[in-house]
Amino acid sequence: MARYECDVLIVGGGITAAMVSQKLAELRPTWKIIVVEAGKRLFDADKRFEYRQRSLDYGENQWPGDFVADQAARGVISRTMAVGGSALHWGGVCNRFSEEDLRLKSMYNLAVDWPLEWKELEKFYCEAERRIGVSGEPSPLAEDARSEPYPMPAMAKTFNLIQLENWAEKSGIPFWTTPQAKNTVEGYGGRSRCRRCNTCEICPTGARYSPDFTFKQLLDAKKIELHDQTLVRRLVLDPQTSRIASATAAKEDGTDDNVEYRARTFVVASGYCWASHLLLLSANARFPNGLANSSDHVGRYMNGHLAYSTTIDLDLKIYPGMNEQHSLISRQFFRCRTDRPYVRHDLRVWENGGGRGPQLRDASGKLLLGDALVADWRTRTSRGTARVRGYYAVEPDKDSRLTLDPATKNRWGDPLPVIQHRIDQSTQLRASATREHFQKLFADLAKANDGRMGNVGPLNYQDHPGGGCRMGSDPATSVVTSEGRTHDHENLWVVGSPTLPTGGCTNGTLTFVALALRSAAAVGR
Amino acid sequence: MRRRTLLQSVAAVFAVQPFARLRLQAQTTNSAELSPANIATLRAIAEVVLPASIGASGRDDAVRSFVTWVRNYKEGADRGHGYGSSTLTAASGPSPAARYPAQFAALDKSAEALGIASFAGLPPDRRLPIVESALNTPQPVTRLPARPTGANLVADFMGFYFNSAAGYDLAYNAAIGRDSCRGLDGSERAPDAWRPGL
Repeated sequence: MARYECDVLIVGGGITAAMVSQKLAELRPTWKIIVVEAGKRLFDADKRFEYRQRSLDYGENQWPGDFVADQAARGVISRTMAVGGSALHWGGVCNRFSEEDLRLKSMYNLAVDWPLEWKELEKFYCEAERRIGVSGEPSPLAEDARSEPYPMPAMAKTFNLIQLENWAEKSGIPFWTTPQAKNTVEGYGGRSRCRRCNTCEICPTGARYSPDFTFKQLLDAKKIELHDQTLVRRLVLDPQTSRIASATAAKEDGTDDNVEYRARTFVVASGYCWASHLLLLSANARFPNGLANSSDHVGRYMNGHLAYSTTIDLDLKIYPGMNEQHSLISRQFFRCRTDRPYVRHDLRVWENGGGRGPQLRDASGKLLLGDALVADWRTRTSRGTARVRGYYAVEPDKDSRLTLDPATKNRWGDPLPVIQHRIDQSTQLRASATREHFQKLFADLAKANDGRMGNVGPLNYQDHPGGGCRMGSDPATSVVTSEGRTHDHENLWVVGSPTLPTGGCTNGTLTFVALALRSAAAVGR
Repeated sequence: MRRRTLLQSVAAVFAVQPFARLRLQAQTTNSAELSPANIATLRAIAEVVLPASIGASGRDDAVRSFVTWVRNYKEGADRGHGYGSSTLTAASGPSPAARYPAQFAALDKSAEALGIASFAGLPPDRRLPIVESALNTPQPVTRLPARPTGANLVADFMGFYFNSAAGYDLAYNAAIGRDSCRGLDGSERAPDAWRPGL
């Protein structure tokens, strides 16, 4: 049985854990920080060209072994469990939420307000952008004002995006490029400039930020200890107080099922799924519903956002593959007038080559070989296609939940989580109006350049999920304070995505990181 | 044997049921490495199914890439997990190439019936009906696979080329270089025009 002592134990090895570790190591250089992650460390940047090529050629995993086979949750949208977490694979999109997301109750009488001011969060957005390394161009909308410029200039628009921007803006909606955690200058964060490899989910050059870089730097500088392939199974309460005394863990390789970590402070940074799961698993006689759960809010208000998307066929020449992950965004619909039906969403536009591939037969079923196949293909590629999508805000029901499934257990016999998202009644009531809004919006966009709109389809899961340990000022209706400290245990913190009361209407990672950095500042005080 | 019957037998091999295919695989010695004769057959197929505009060197590149793909295929490889799903993708299955020997043999057999020792020995115009038969009967192949599956050698080879970055460059008549790391500079301009040898 191994025993470790430290000042701060960080449970989880994803992007928020990386940021909290980095910031705490700066604020408290004498503190001993241990990061424990259930998955592997994949510090093999030298192999990423090979992984990328095998992924392109054979459809193999770009991050081989980035999961734990028997540590699975029903309803989770990414099985990644490795040092770096889901931000190994992420596309690097770094959109901010907007002030409206923090004021849903007071502005629209929906859900709840977040217990912090926009100006306060905005400071940490800037810090998150600096630490991750975000390239972007400022929004032209006054409501999106920034207190600091982006750390790097925006990613260059491709020929395709220039064409698409000219088209999309004919609708009267302003578009600009999406901010991204990708280097547009050489050497930012010790990483290379983007080389436009078109495979951002596995960036072979390291131009796209992933947390393994931060962990590697911290380890090289001996700022932290990283215990990977070690699953924290329980947090253990001090017998006399409501403080957390230790965490117990098991080595994935079976060499030690009783690892003990004693720490002054415990930071749960294991994402929207495994944070609530650990707290629920850690139930004891004094907290029979789980740690930090005297309010019965752990695992509740699981949130995210939904989306509608379509493709629009245009009289434009588009060359699919120039930089497929790069996109245009409009934040015009982040705001919704209070005298109009409520709908808030982002709006993104990408180049699109889907559905325009080679065909073996013509419409009559005749075989197409050689030059005949190419001639047919060229007739279908003479017009371009845009992919258009809007993530829209939905509010979670209290019974949008993560629960323990006693029927599904890991190798240690721990019940695994089940996540069932449920939208609240007001979201349900406006569902058809939301769909009509997108139908009209996409149709309006399509009007220019002889556009022909395809089917408008919904996303069948809530993306960029969060929740389960929502923040709030009232301990009766929330799990943590706005800084992430649990109401029930003074030395237990939950950071990042689990703390979001609502899921916003755009990619969440930058918000998760900003909130985690704010938590780190408080932990370090 | 009459030509029609021969073509039917070629098609029957291309559409043979999975268990029968497994028996045919067992007769082969090395399914992962295509033989020189197989490569000659692929070149002969390429002359029929790939566009003339890519020239002999383009066809050779396509065949070489296909042979390399077959050689480097890994059975049981981790194929990860799709975003938006809570399940792992099944590991890669047996090499598609395990199903090719019988199909190569059937092509040669059809040539033998025409008095030529191998499919590669036939002039292109006489290969065409054999290739068409392989793609048409008993069930027409309707789509080119995104990656080789082993179900149909000709369709696999065509899909392999046409779905590649090179195939897309040809279709769009532009040097897009989808799978290459190209740098950001100049990306605001339309790609250069396609030319043979890109």
